[in-house]
Amino acid sequence: MRRIAGALGLLLAALLPAAAPAQPAPPPAAPTVFEELALAPPPGRPAILPPAPTAPLLVQSPPLLPDAPAPLLPALPPPPAPVPTPAAPVLDAPAAATPRPALVAELSQARVEITTGFTGTELLVFGATDRLIGPQPSAGHGDDVLIVAQNAPQPMVVRRKIRVLGFWINGPSARFRSVPGVYLLTGTRPLREMLSADERTTKRLGLENLPLDSTGIQDPSYRQALLQLKQDAHLWWEADTPLRIAGARLFSARLPLPATVQTGDYRVEVMLVRDGRVLARQELGFRVERVGTAASIADVARQEPLVYGLICILLAAFAGWMGSVLFRRS
Amino acid sequence: MQVYLPIAEMSVDALLLLGIGFGVGWLSGMFGVGGGFLLTPILILIGIPSPVAVASGANQTLGASVSGLIAQWRKGNVDLKMGGVLLAGGFTGSFLGVQLFAWLRRQGQVDLAVSIFYVVVLGSVGALMVRESVRAILRRRQKGAKPKRLHAHFWMHGLPFKMRFRKSRLYISVIPPLLVGFSIGVLSAVMGVGGGFMLVPAMIYLLGMPTSVVIGTSLFQVVFVAANVTVLQAVSTGSVDIVLTLLLLIGGVAGAQFGAAMGTRLRGEETRALLGAMVLAVALSLLWGLVATPESAFVIGPLP
Repeated sequence: MRRIAGALGLLLAALLPAAAPAQPAPPPAAPTVFEELALAPPPGRPAILPPAPTAPLLVQSPPLLPDAPAPLLPALPPPPAPVPTPAAPVLDAPAAATPRPALVAELSQARVEITTGFTGTELLVFGATDRLIGPQPSAGHGDDVLIVAQNAPQPMVVRRKIRVLGFWINGPSARFRSVPGVYLLTGTRPLREMLSADERTTKRLGLENLPLDSTGIQDPSYRQALLQLKQDAHLWWEADTPLRIAGARLFSARLPLPATVQTGDYRVEVMLVRDGRVLARQELGFRVERVGTAASIADVARQEPLVYGLICILLAAFAGWMGSVLFRRS
Repeated sequence: MQVYLPIAEMSVDALLLLGIGFGVGWLSGMFGVGGGFLLTPILILIGIPSPVAVASGANQTLGASVSGLIAQWRKGNVDLKMGGVLLAGGFTGSFLGVQLFAWLRRQGQVDLAVSIFYVVVLGSVGALMVRESVRAILRRRQKGAKPKRLHAHFWMHGLPFKMRFRKSRLYISVIPPLLVGFSIGVLSAVMGVGGGFMLVPAMIYLLGMPTSVVIGTSLFQVVFVAANVTVLQAVSTGSVDIVLTLLLLIGGVAGAQFGAAMGTRLRGEETRALLGAMVLAVALSLLWGLVATPESAFVIGPLP
């Protein structure tokens, strides 16, 4: 009984934000760490170039090693200073002891929270490289950065609609064993220009090279349809514009997460590409979770379906009765 | 104002849902039906997955019908005995209907099945209602028409297990009400409707109940069958979205009161003709959805 009462309380709480539109949605990804740093250069260190004041800080601060687990930034809203600022500029010591990492990257947040007002968000991936990246005015093209974010693959079924007696019905189907629910790719250049076809295939990079094995009907059009529909739903995305580069060493990209993003763990791979080959890579992760009332409702519905169903009945009946009392016209 | 639906796992405009609820509630208040037959197709149309639309639609119908039931109960327009018999059939029907729904979902044919159910049921009911009410209007206009018999006798009245329903002034076999209740239960589970739009004509034309108790008794059956469907859907498919339901209800109960005030000014035949035309229109639009060439030749979904 207590459990039912508790669950009822949760759902009643859920009703309030749903009914009260004034509740402010939590700030999405912004303001990002990146911008914070850029806005406030450390005292005593004047900004040299407007977009690049953080470059020396990021490249040289030792805590950001590529293999170290991602220093989990506390979830926004309160964005604290994420990088422990060295008391004095560390210029020589670490560089002499260990080779400087070719690539460091970080995410703006380790958690994406789905609240009752969630409408999708953007996740910022940022970092710096040792050598120059992006198009160079003097010597052609520097190194490239490639970012791929995806979640755990799951089985999916693609059905072709066929016409039977004038009606369109779901006909033959192909089952794909492992389909990433979300696949987002961006880089300093289009993937085709960055990596050779061989490298793309062996590393399975890009939407064209996803390992989509299917059972059932064997027909390339099913795979094509899957690609198309996933992209239409903004769940799969290959950026057509290059990510942002500042000072030829800093990069930042915004990964768009649609409102339909699945909950769970996501993996973000940041790769450094030189001469068509992947030279260094760093793996980051974030988690998409329902929080607050949305989470409570989904939890109750999944764990206690019977209780949830009964609560739904009571709430609906109560709302109906309340409405008739409030809006009675007699 | 976007709101995230936790079960449907998508965000929709809360004002849109409130508006849909209000519009459907207004119509349903006017005609004295739950409005589920309009609501579920509209929800599917705005992109809510069919299972969630059906399950939440049933839940919404329950809420929307409660106030009507209370009002009718106060006026003494509920035939409890008839309601109980209908309900016995309704519970059995909704139980089987939810099993059927879960099976269809596994087959990947849930959208098709829901649409076909709607087209067939709404099409035939709408056509019958329009035909009947137009006839009634014409008959009323003809002076000196033959006095109508109370109700016609046909094979149904020869069935066994007769029972006396005092409030309905009927002495009939329990088999027809049981069957009516059963089919409404199945429809309620598969279509996410209360079934009032079918129950009312079935009670009038098939069972021959007096119009005064029809609305109250049908609401009685609708409330309890919808409650049953809500629980069964929550358990077997887990697709009842309470946030969606409540948003629709808030708009719906407000709209229903305005609609009811307007409905009292309409005459019976005209009301039925209008309702029939509306039912037909929904059926035709869904039929169009089945026949029209789809935007994409493929659909994707999680492996059931």
